[in-house]
Amino acid sequence: MTLAAGTDSDTRQIALGLRQRNLVLLDALVEQYQYRLVRYLIYLLGRRDGVDDLVQETWLRVLERGSSYDGRSRFEPWLFAIARNLAIDHMRRRRIFSLDSNDDEEGEGVRPSPASDAPSPFALAARTEDAEALAHSLQVLQPSYREALVLRFQEDLSLQEISAIVGAPVSTVSSRIYRGLAMLRSQFEGGSHGI
Amino acid sequence: MGSDGHERFQHMIDESLAGTVQEEQSLREHLQSCAPCQEYLAASSRAIAGLGGFSFAVDPGLNAKVSASLKLRAQQIRATQPGRRQLVLSCILALMLTAVGSLFDLRLSGLIATVFDLQRMQVQHGLIALWILPSLCLLLLFPILPLLSAGGSNQNERNL
Repeated sequence: MTLAAGTDSDTRQIALGLRQRNLVLLDALVEQYQYRLVRYLIYLLGRRDGVDDLVQETWLRVLERGSSYDGRSRFEPWLFAIARNLAIDHMRRRRIFSLDSNDDEEGEGVRPSPASDAPSPFALAARTEDAEALAHSLQVLQPSYREALVLRFQEDLSLQEISAIVGAPVSTVSSRIYRGLAMLRSQFEGGSHGI
Repeated sequence: MGSDGHERFQHMIDESLAGTVQEEQSLREHLQSCAPCQEYLAASSRAIAGLGGFSFAVDPGLNAKVSASLKLRAQQIRATQPGRRQLVLSCILALMLTAVGSLFDLRLSGLIATVFDLQRMQVQHGLIALWILPSLCLLLLFPILPLLSAGGSNQNERNL
Protein backbone atom coordinates (compact mmCIF):
# COMPACT_ATOMS: atom_id res chain seq x y z
CA MET A 1 0.00 0.00 0.00
CA THR A 2 1.60 3.26 -1.10
CA LEU A 3 0.26 6.59 -0.04
CA ALA A 4 1.08 9.82 -1.80
CA ALA A 5 0.19 12.50 0.70
CA GLY A 6 0.14 15.27 -1.82
CA THR A 7 -3.35 15.53 -3.30
CA ASP A 8 -6.47 16.42 -1.35
CA SER A 9 -8.00 12.98 -1.78
CA ASP A 10 -4.80 11.31 -0.52
CA THR A 11 -4.63 13.46 2.58
CA ARG A 12 -8.32 12.95 3.27
CA GLN A 13 -7.81 9.21 2.89
CA ILE A 14 -5.06 9.42 5.50
CA ALA A 15 -7.24 11.55 7.78
CA LEU A 16 -10.08 9.03 7.55
CA GLY A 17 -7.76 6.13 8.23
CA LEU A 18 -6.22 7.84 11.23
CA ARG A 19 -9.64 8.63 12.65
CA GLN A 20 -10.53 4.95 12.34
CA ARG A 21 -7.13 3.93 13.78
CA ASN A 22 -6.52 1.82 10.70
CA LEU A 23 -3.35 -0.15 11.50
CA VAL A 24 -2.77 -1.14 7.87
CA LEU A 25 -2.70 2.53 6.95
CA LEU A 26 -0.40 3.33 9.85
CA ASP A 27 2.03 0.60 8.82
CA ALA A 28 2.10 2.06 5.32
CA LEU A 29 2.77 5.53 6.72
CA VAL A 30 5.57 4.17 8.89
CA GLU A 31 7.10 2.51 5.84
CA GLN A 32 6.83 5.65 3.79
CA TYR A 33 7.94 8.28 6.29
CA GLN A 34 10.30 6.47 8.64
CA TYR A 35 13.58 7.57 7.07
CA ARG A 36 12.42 11.17 6.74
CA LEU A 37 11.32 11.21 10.36
CA VAL A 38 14.66 9.80 11.52
CA ARG A 39 16.52 12.36 9.41
CA TYR A 40 14.43 15.24 10.73
CA LEU A 41 15.01 14.25 14.35
CA ILE A 42 18.75 13.85 13.79
CA TYR A 43 18.90 17.33 12.30
CA LEU A 44 16.84 18.68 15.18
CA LEU A 45 18.78 17.02 17.98
CA GLY A 46 22.21 16.87 16.36
CA ARG A 47 22.67 13.37 17.71
CA ARG A 48 21.68 9.81 16.83
CA ASP A 49 21.06 8.27 20.24
CA GLY A 50 17.54 8.59 21.49
CA VAL A 51 16.13 9.19 18.01
CA ASP A 52 14.65 5.71 17.61
CA ASP A 53 12.70 6.07 20.86
CA LEU A 54 11.39 9.44 19.74
CA VAL A 55 10.38 7.95 16.40
CA GLN A 56 8.39 5.28 18.18
CA GLU A 57 6.74 7.84 20.47
CA THR A 58 5.87 9.97 17.48
CA TRP A 59 3.98 7.17 15.76
CA LEU A 60 2.17 6.30 18.99
CA ARG A 61 1.03 9.87 19.25
CA VAL A 62 -0.06 9.80 15.61
CA LEU A 63 -2.24 6.84 16.56
CA GLU A 64 -3.64 8.51 19.67
CA ARG A 65 -4.29 11.91 18.09
CA GLY A 66 -5.08 10.89 14.56
CA SER A 67 -8.51 12.47 14.74
CA SER A 68 -6.90 15.92 15.03
CA TYR A 69 -5.50 15.61 11.48
CA ASP A 70 -8.22 16.83 9.15
CA GLY A 71 -6.56 16.13 5.80
CA ARG A 72 -6.87 19.72 4.59
CA SER A 73 -3.10 20.15 4.57
CA ARG A 74 -0.23 17.82 3.82
CA PHE A 75 0.55 15.02 6.23
CA GLU A 76 4.28 15.76 6.60
CA PRO A 77 3.97 19.08 8.49
CA TRP A 78 1.54 17.51 10.96
CA LEU A 79 3.86 14.55 11.49
CA PHE A 80 6.95 16.72 11.96
CA ALA A 81 5.10 18.98 14.39
CA ILE A 82 4.32 15.97 16.57
CA ALA A 83 7.93 14.82 16.41
CA ARG A 84 9.16 18.31 17.25
CA ASN A 85 6.98 18.64 20.32
CA LEU A 86 8.14 15.28 21.60
CA ALA A 87 11.77 16.18 20.94
CA ILE A 88 11.37 19.44 22.87
CA ASP A 89 9.84 17.60 25.83
CA HIS A 90 12.69 15.10 25.64
CA MET A 91 15.31 17.86 25.63
CA ARG A 92 13.67 19.66 28.54
CA ARG A 93 13.59 16.47 30.58
CA ARG A 94 17.25 15.82 29.88
CA ARG A 95 18.12 19.52 30.17
CA ILE A 96 19.84 19.52 26.83
CA PHE A 97 20.11 22.79 24.88
CA SER A 98 16.97 24.70 24.06
CA LEU A 99 15.64 25.06 20.55
CA ASP A 100 14.78 28.66 21.29
CA SER A 101 17.56 30.59 19.64
CA ASN A 102 17.92 34.30 19.95
CA ASP A 103 17.48 35.04 16.29
CA ASP A 104 18.30 38.68 16.76
CA GLU A 105 21.86 38.13 17.89
CA GLU A 106 24.42 38.87 15.24
CA GLY A 107 26.82 36.09 14.59
CA GLU A 108 24.59 33.67 16.38
CA GLY A 109 24.44 30.36 14.69
CA VAL A 110 26.98 28.30 16.52
CA ARG A 111 26.40 26.64 19.80
CA PRO A 112 28.80 24.59 21.87
CA SER A 113 28.58 20.93 21.04
CA PRO A 114 26.86 18.94 23.75
CA ALA A 115 29.22 16.97 25.93
CA SER A 116 29.20 13.64 24.19
CA ASP A 117 31.77 11.12 23.05
CA ALA A 118 29.45 9.89 20.35
CA PRO A 119 30.67 10.59 16.82
CA SER A 120 28.81 13.23 14.85
CA PRO A 121 25.83 11.67 13.08
CA PHE A 122 26.55 13.96 10.13
CA ALA A 123 30.14 12.79 9.82
CA LEU A 124 28.97 9.19 9.89
CA ALA A 125 26.25 9.81 7.34
CA ALA A 126 28.25 11.84 4.81
CA ARG A 127 28.43 10.05 1.46
CA THR A 128 29.89 12.77 -0.76
CA GLU A 129 32.87 15.06 -0.51
CA ASP A 130 30.66 18.12 -0.12
CA ALA A 131 28.64 16.43 2.61
CA GLU A 132 31.87 15.65 4.45
CA ALA A 133 32.80 19.30 4.19
CA LEU A 134 29.45 20.31 5.69
CA ALA A 135 29.37 17.74 8.48
CA HIS A 136 31.22 19.76 11.10
CA SER A 137 29.34 22.97 10.27
CA LEU A 138 26.04 21.16 10.63
CA GLN A 139 27.09 19.67 13.93
CA VAL A 140 27.86 23.06 15.49
CA LEU A 141 25.01 24.93 13.84
CA GLN A 142 22.08 26.17 15.94
CA PRO A 143 19.41 23.45 16.07
CA SER A 144 16.76 25.89 14.86
CA TYR A 145 18.87 26.74 11.79
CA ARG A 146 19.56 23.10 11.06
CA GLU A 147 15.88 22.34 11.40
CA ALA A 148 14.93 25.13 8.98
CA LEU A 149 17.48 23.91 6.44
CA VAL A 150 16.34 20.29 6.45
CA LEU A 151 12.66 21.21 6.26
CA ARG A 152 13.22 23.63 3.39
CA PHE A 153 15.85 21.90 1.30
CA GLN A 154 15.37 18.23 2.10
CA GLU A 155 11.66 18.04 2.84
CA ASP A 156 10.80 20.79 0.34
CA LEU A 157 8.22 22.32 2.65
CA SER A 158 6.99 25.83 2.04
CA LEU A 159 7.95 28.63 4.40
CA GLN A 160 4.36 28.77 5.65
CA GLU A 161 4.40 25.05 6.44
CA ILE A 162 7.72 25.36 8.26
CA SER A 163 6.39 28.36 10.15
CA ALA A 164 3.41 26.32 11.34
CA ILE A 165 5.65 23.45 12.45
CA VAL A 166 8.12 25.54 14.43
CA GLY A 167 5.61 28.07 15.71
CA ALA A 168 7.58 31.06 14.46
CA PRO A 169 6.75 33.77 11.90
CA VAL A 170 7.73 33.27 8.29
CA SER A 171 10.26 36.09 8.61
CA THR A 172 11.99 34.24 11.45
CA VAL A 173 12.04 31.03 9.44
CA SER A 174 13.54 32.87 6.47
CA SER A 175 16.16 34.42 8.70
CA ARG A 176 17.14 31.02 10.09
CA ILE A 177 17.47 29.65 6.57
CA TYR A 178 19.66 32.54 5.45
CA ARG A 179 21.91 32.31 8.50
CA GLY A 180 22.17 28.54 8.33
CA LEU A 181 22.97 28.70 4.64
CA ALA A 182 25.61 31.36 5.31
CA MET A 183 27.36 29.04 7.74
CA LEU A 184 27.35 26.18 5.28
CA ARG A 185 28.29 28.34 2.33
CA SER A 186 31.46 29.45 4.11
CA GLN A 187 32.81 25.94 3.52
CA PHE A 188 32.78 26.52 -0.21
CA GLU A 189 33.73 30.16 -0.46
CA GLY A 190 37.13 31.51 -1.15
CA GLY A 191 38.15 28.58 -3.29
CA SER A 192 38.80 26.46 -0.19
CA HIS A 193 37.10 23.52 -1.83
CA GLY A 194 37.97 24.12 -5.43
CA ILE A 195 35.09 26.27 -6.66
CA MET B 1 29.95 47.80 -8.18
CA GLY B 2 30.24 48.61 -4.50
CA SER B 3 29.74 46.08 -1.74
CA ASP B 4 26.23 47.42 -1.10
CA GLY B 5 25.21 46.45 -4.60
CA HIS B 6 26.65 42.96 -4.19
CA GLU B 7 24.92 42.60 -0.82
CA ARG B 8 21.59 43.52 -2.33
CA PHE B 9 21.91 40.95 -5.09
CA GLN B 10 23.31 38.32 -2.74
CA HIS B 11 20.30 38.84 -0.50
CA MET B 12 18.11 38.35 -3.56
CA ILE B 13 19.96 35.10 -4.22
CA ASP B 14 19.27 33.99 -0.64
CA GLU B 15 15.59 34.86 -1.02
CA SER B 16 15.36 33.05 -4.31
CA LEU B 17 17.01 29.90 -2.98
CA ALA B 18 14.91 29.93 0.18
CA GLY B 19 11.76 30.35 -1.85
CA THR B 20 10.84 33.68 -0.33
CA VAL B 21 10.55 35.36 -3.72
CA GLN B 22 10.81 34.37 -7.34
CA GLU B 23 14.09 35.11 -9.07
CA GLU B 24 13.95 38.55 -10.63
CA GLN B 25 15.04 39.59 -14.09
CA SER B 26 17.44 42.15 -12.59
CA LEU B 27 19.18 39.39 -10.65
CA ARG B 28 19.48 37.20 -13.72
CA GLU B 29 21.00 40.06 -15.68
CA HIS B 30 23.38 40.92 -12.85
CA LEU B 31 24.60 37.36 -12.55
CA GLN B 32 25.58 37.32 -16.22
CA SER B 33 28.39 39.76 -15.54
CA CYS B 34 29.24 39.70 -11.81
CA ALA B 35 31.85 37.12 -10.85
CA PRO B 36 31.60 37.58 -7.04
CA CYS B 37 27.84 37.05 -7.12
CA GLN B 38 28.23 34.07 -9.42
CA GLU B 39 30.61 32.56 -6.88
CA TYR B 40 28.15 33.37 -4.09
CA LEU B 41 25.38 31.58 -5.95
CA ALA B 42 27.63 28.64 -6.77
CA ALA B 43 28.74 28.26 -3.14
CA SER B 44 25.14 28.49 -1.90
CA SER B 45 23.91 25.98 -4.46
CA ARG B 46 26.74 23.66 -3.57
CA ALA B 47 25.86 23.91 0.14
CA ILE B 48 22.22 23.08 -0.60
CA ALA B 49 23.18 20.20 -2.85
CA GLY B 50 25.62 19.01 -0.19
CA LEU B 51 22.73 18.55 2.22
CA GLY B 52 21.52 15.81 -0.09
CA GLY B 53 24.78 13.93 0.36
CA PHE B 54 23.89 12.46 3.73
CA SER B 55 22.44 9.01 4.22
CA PHE B 56 21.45 8.18 7.79
CA ALA B 57 21.35 4.58 8.90
CA VAL B 58 17.99 3.33 10.10
CA ASP B 59 17.77 0.26 12.31
CA PRO B 60 16.24 -2.45 10.08
CA GLY B 61 14.12 -3.64 12.99
CA LEU B 62 12.69 -0.22 13.80
CA ASN B 63 9.66 -0.48 11.53
CA ALA B 64 8.64 -3.82 13.00
CA LYS B 65 9.15 -2.50 16.53
CA VAL B 66 6.98 0.53 15.79
CA SER B 67 4.26 -1.62 14.20
CA ALA B 68 4.16 -3.91 17.22
CA SER B 69 3.86 -1.01 19.64
CA LEU B 70 1.12 0.58 17.51
CA LYS B 71 -0.84 -2.65 17.54
CA LEU B 72 -0.53 -2.96 21.31
CA ARG B 73 -1.50 0.66 21.87
CA ALA B 74 -4.51 0.33 19.57
CA GLN B 75 -5.71 -2.64 21.60
CA GLN B 76 -5.31 -0.67 24.83
CA ILE B 77 -7.29 2.24 23.42
CA ARG B 78 -10.10 -0.05 22.24
CA ALA B 79 -10.24 -1.64 25.70
CA THR B 80 -10.64 1.68 27.52
CA GLN B 81 -12.95 3.54 25.20
CA PRO B 82 -16.62 2.70 24.77
CA GLY B 83 -17.35 1.01 21.49
CA ARG B 84 -20.01 2.10 19.04
CA ARG B 85 -22.43 -0.60 20.24
CA GLN B 86 -22.12 0.54 23.84
CA LEU B 87 -22.73 4.13 22.86
CA VAL B 88 -25.84 3.22 20.89
CA LEU B 89 -27.20 1.16 23.80
CA SER B 90 -26.50 4.03 26.19
CA CYS B 91 -28.36 6.43 23.90
CA ILE B 92 -31.33 4.08 23.70
CA LEU B 93 -31.37 3.74 27.48
CA ALA B 94 -31.26 7.53 27.92
CA LEU B 95 -34.07 7.89 25.38
CA MET B 96 -36.21 5.34 27.22
CA LEU B 97 -35.55 7.06 30.54
CA THR B 98 -36.63 10.38 29.04
CA ALA B 99 -39.77 8.81 27.59
CA VAL B 100 -40.71 7.03 30.81
CA GLY B 101 -40.08 10.18 32.83
CA SER B 102 -42.26 12.19 30.49
CA LEU B 103 -45.01 9.57 30.79
CA PHE B 104 -44.85 9.72 34.57
CA ASP B 105 -45.02 13.49 34.37
CA LEU B 106 -48.08 13.51 32.12
CA ARG B 107 -50.09 10.57 33.49
CA LEU B 108 -49.04 9.84 37.03
CA SER B 109 -48.02 13.17 38.51
CA GLY B 110 -51.51 13.65 39.90
CA LEU B 111 -51.44 10.25 41.63
CA ILE B 112 -47.99 10.85 43.04
CA ALA B 113 -49.06 14.23 44.33
CA THR B 114 -52.03 12.64 46.10
CA VAL B 115 -49.97 9.86 47.67
CA PHE B 116 -47.28 12.20 48.99
CA ASP B 117 -49.64 15.07 49.80
CA LEU B 118 -47.95 17.47 47.39
CA GLN B 119 -49.19 19.83 44.73
CA ARG B 120 -49.21 18.40 41.24
CA MET B 121 -47.06 21.28 39.96
CA GLN B 122 -44.39 20.45 42.52
CA VAL B 123 -44.30 16.82 41.40
CA GLN B 124 -44.08 17.83 37.76
CA HIS B 125 -41.24 20.28 38.43
CA GLY B 126 -39.42 17.65 40.44
CA LEU B 127 -39.76 15.06 37.68
CA ILE B 128 -38.50 17.50 35.09
CA ALA B 129 -35.52 18.68 37.16
CA LEU B 130 -34.43 15.33 38.56
CA TRP B 131 -35.39 12.85 35.86
CA ILE B 132 -36.34 14.21 32.45
CA LEU B 133 -33.68 16.91 32.10
CA PRO B 134 -30.75 14.74 33.27
CA SER B 135 -31.75 11.87 30.98
CA LEU B 136 -32.16 14.33 28.10
CA CYS B 137 -28.67 15.70 28.77
CA LEU B 138 -27.25 12.19 28.72
CA LEU B 139 -29.05 11.51 25.46
CA LEU B 140 -27.45 14.56 23.89
CA LEU B 141 -24.02 13.99 25.46
CA PHE B 142 -23.34 10.38 24.52
CA PRO B 143 -22.94 10.91 20.75
CA ILE B 144 -20.26 13.57 21.26
CA LEU B 145 -18.25 11.70 23.92
CA PRO B 146 -15.77 10.27 21.34
CA LEU B 147 -15.15 13.77 20.02
CA LEU B 148 -14.49 15.11 23.51
CA SER B 149 -12.04 12.35 24.35
CA ALA B 150 -10.05 12.94 21.16
CA GLY B 151 -10.02 16.69 21.60
CA GLY B 152 -6.91 17.16 23.75
CA SER B 153 -4.18 17.60 21.19
CA ASN B 154 -1.36 20.10 20.92
CA GLN B 155 -2.08 23.43 19.22
CA ASN B 156 0.68 23.04 16.61
CA GLU B 157 -0.50 19.63 15.58
CA ARG B 158 -3.98 20.80 14.72
CA ASN B 159 -4.93 22.08 11.31
CA LEU B 160 -1.48 22.64 9.88
